[in-house]
Amino acid sequence: MMANRMDPNLLIDLKRYGEKGAVNIEACFNCGNCTAVCPLTSDDHPFPRNTIRLMQLGLKDQILQSSDPWLCYYCGECTETCPRGAEPAEAQMALRRWLTAQYDWTGLARKFYTSEVWEIGSIILVGVLIALAFIFFHGPIVTDQVELNTFAPVDVIHIGDWIMALLLLFFLLTNALRMHNFIMRRGTKTKIPLAAYASELWSLPYHFATQKRWATCEERPSWISHLLLVSGYVLMLVIIVFFLPWFQTDNVYPLYHPQRWLGYYATIVLLYGAGRAIWGRLEKARQMHRFSHASDWMFPILLFTVTLTGILVHIFRYAGLPMATYVTYVVHLALLVPMLVLEVPFGKWSHLAYRPLAIYFEAVKVKAREMEQAELAPATV
Amino acid sequence: MTQENLHVDTLVVGGGIAGMQSALDLADQGFRVALVEKEASIGGKMIALSKVFPTLDCCSCITTPKMSAVAHHENIDLLTYCEIGAIHENGGGFVADVTKKPRYVNEADCTGCRQCEYACPIDLPNAFDMDLGAMRAIRVPFSTAVPQKAVLDIENCILCGKCEQTCPVNCIDFTQQPEQFQIEADAIVLATGFGLTPTDAKKEYGAGQLLNVVDALTVERLLAPTGPYGHVLRPSDGKEPDSIAYVQCAGSRDTTLGVEYCSRVCCMYAIKQAMLLSGALPLADITIYYMDIRTFGKGYEQFYQNARAMGIEFVKGKVARITEDDDKNPVVRVELIDEGSQIVERAHDMIVLSVGMVPGYNPQAIYGVPIDASDGFIEIPSPNIAPTVTNHEGIFATGTAVSPMDIVDSIVMAGAAAAETAAYLQSRNGHSYKLPISGSMEMEVAHV
Repeated sequence: MMANRMDPNLLIDLKRYGEKGAVNIEACFNCGNCTAVCPLTSDDHPFPRNTIRLMQLGLKDQILQSSDPWLCYYCGECTETCPRGAEPAEAQMALRRWLTAQYDWTGLARKFYTSEVWEIGSIILVGVLIALAFIFFHGPIVTDQVELNTFAPVDVIHIGDWIMALLLLFFLLTNALRMHNFIMRRGTKTKIPLAAYASELWSLPYHFATQKRWATCEERPSWISHLLLVSGYVLMLVIIVFFLPWFQTDNVYPLYHPQRWLGYYATIVLLYGAGRAIWGRLEKARQMHRFSHASDWMFPILLFTVTLTGILVHIFRYAGLPMATYVTYVVHLALLVPMLVLEVPFGKWSHLAYRPLAIYFEAVKVKAREMEQAELAPATV
Repeated sequence: MTQENLHVDTLVVGGGIAGMQSALDLADQGFRVALVEKEASIGGKMIALSKVFPTLDCCSCITTPKMSAVAHHENIDLLTYCEIGAIHENGGGFVADVTKKPRYVNEADCTGCRQCEYACPIDLPNAFDMDLGAMRAIRVPFSTAVPQKAVLDIENCILCGKCEQTCPVNCIDFTQQPEQFQIEADAIVLATGFGLTPTDAKKEYGAGQLLNVVDALTVERLLAPTGPYGHVLRPSDGKEPDSIAYVQCAGSRDTTLGVEYCSRVCCMYAIKQAMLLSGALPLADITIYYMDIRTFGKGYEQFYQNARAMGIEFVKGKVARITEDDDKNPVVRVELIDEGSQIVERAHDMIVLSVGMVPGYNPQAIYGVPIDASDGFIEIPSPNIAPTVTNHEGIFATGTAVSPMDIVDSIVMAGAAAAETAAYLQSRNGHSYKLPISGSMEMEVAHV
């Protein structure tokens, strides 16, 4: 039996994970309107009212064991129709930030979410370290023509790439393992056989790539824009981790060369997706953009500036501007590295793992229950 | 005949149950009262109701004697179909500018025989029956109207002259014009009543476009013995509904509608109507979707428990959306909070929105009496110790003009307003009078 230990400080703590005044669940009187209007709610996962009730009661363990906040995509219909103005959708958003911090064993995520000094400071620190590394350890500067691979030899950068990727993966996976323990070990009484994990494994890459659940919400344009964004960054991630020597080159290719048009595609969708997110938050026209936590700004701004500097490196190189190319390249990496090492395992970008994992875990639970029932059922009728 | 200027002790504004009760309580003490009502008959919202909770007394049986008493009281001047334009102060008293709207019927001569009504060829939706039945362009407003005098709706009249030819006392007068007159009064009682939260305000509930989604006042008319059909029939096809659902808090406790307060009467009237429907349609299933059932008055909780015992189904959960199926059956979408948080969509034959109370009238411009910024009702500075005393000396308020309340409370408060007004009027004759307001609000009033 699960222990129902109450944490009276939970709500105070949760409020630190939202913009001032955004977490307003004291106003909720549990009428159930939000759950009934939600396009994604189901009998197995009725939300958001249930998680809000847990927040009100301070039942921290039960929230930790719940994957419900990750199943919400913030269409905002609940908030729009809430008779109390209790901001149920924003409560789910704050819970996702809080859960990210709870999954993270290093404690860094908590610092980043609850302190703007920590969040901005750490990004500046990592960025400055990268810039300093280039200032002290760059290769020869050739100024009569652009030789990026002389300034920053691609072999060295590629090794750095791999170190960064492994580091990032290590933190993300260990955090995901903690998420698994909360949801799958503490959060269920059913014993989960390995076969259940295996049979539902397909859903992980599937939901990662398609975000199909989100498409059920009525916000179709947002889903398409996000899908394009994902395709862009997955493409770039694959290129820079596995094919960097092919990508970072001093060769000048014709327009039909895949190195060029793949890069252009990624640039366009990333600028569009990140730009749309920033513009939406400035405009505040849609429910999901009414409240913006510091982390909500940081991520799209970094993504936008990284893409912008990336394409500028390309433009300067083709324009034959050596110094501009080298400086922009350093700025590009000084933005890219902190974005990846800080946002992916400890920040807003971690949702790329937690959202598909949550869907996967819930599918595994259903499968395990089915397998258990099949075992209990009499062999012949 | 033109209306003469009047000089009275008290002007009562509004001829609903609260205004009538205040007027009677003052008149019985010997004060002269002028009761001004904007409609053609007094009785207010109460006369339209079927029965009252929690006793299930017939509403007409309680209201009509009071209406008659007002009409026949020697100390009351009853002025129906009149609107107050402005009120001025006049050396410690008030002067009200009143417009008497034309009835196009000579009120003194009309006998209420209804011959004109039978002769009139124009049929209109009956406003008193919430547009369900029909009425004529010239008619006595409703069967128990006081005064029993015809009124002509000139907007819809085709001037055929049939009524004029039929009238046995020749009282039809198409040439009537609005008349202006003044009422001088030493004190004023505001009993301006309430309005209903509009059914088209909430788009989740069909924005008033779903035929079989009605408001509770419509059901009162369906249930009333004087109602349009004599049966409970649903609007779209006249079918007797087998399944009726109530959606509670359809106009109250909802910030999206700008009505944050509880209207206090909806739980009880829904339970009452559910009971009456069980009597009218013994085989029908009746469901009440609620957030909380608030039964605060004497006998109210027992009334609620009786309804449960009668088999009326109470479902905890706020209805999030009402849609319509192919047979025009309204479908509710709701979280069954007490049944494992399932989300269900259930079709009913008819849905009743338990709409709430909003201020019916804004007296600020006319009387200089402030309204409460939070809800729009008349502001009472010390509601706990002087619930009928407004910010304006000599002006008192009562009933649902002050806040949402039921009939019982309105009548109690009307008596309180009358007592307060009487004490104030006596003070003008030399008696000392201290407004029952404490602290910084304290003011001594003595007119010697």
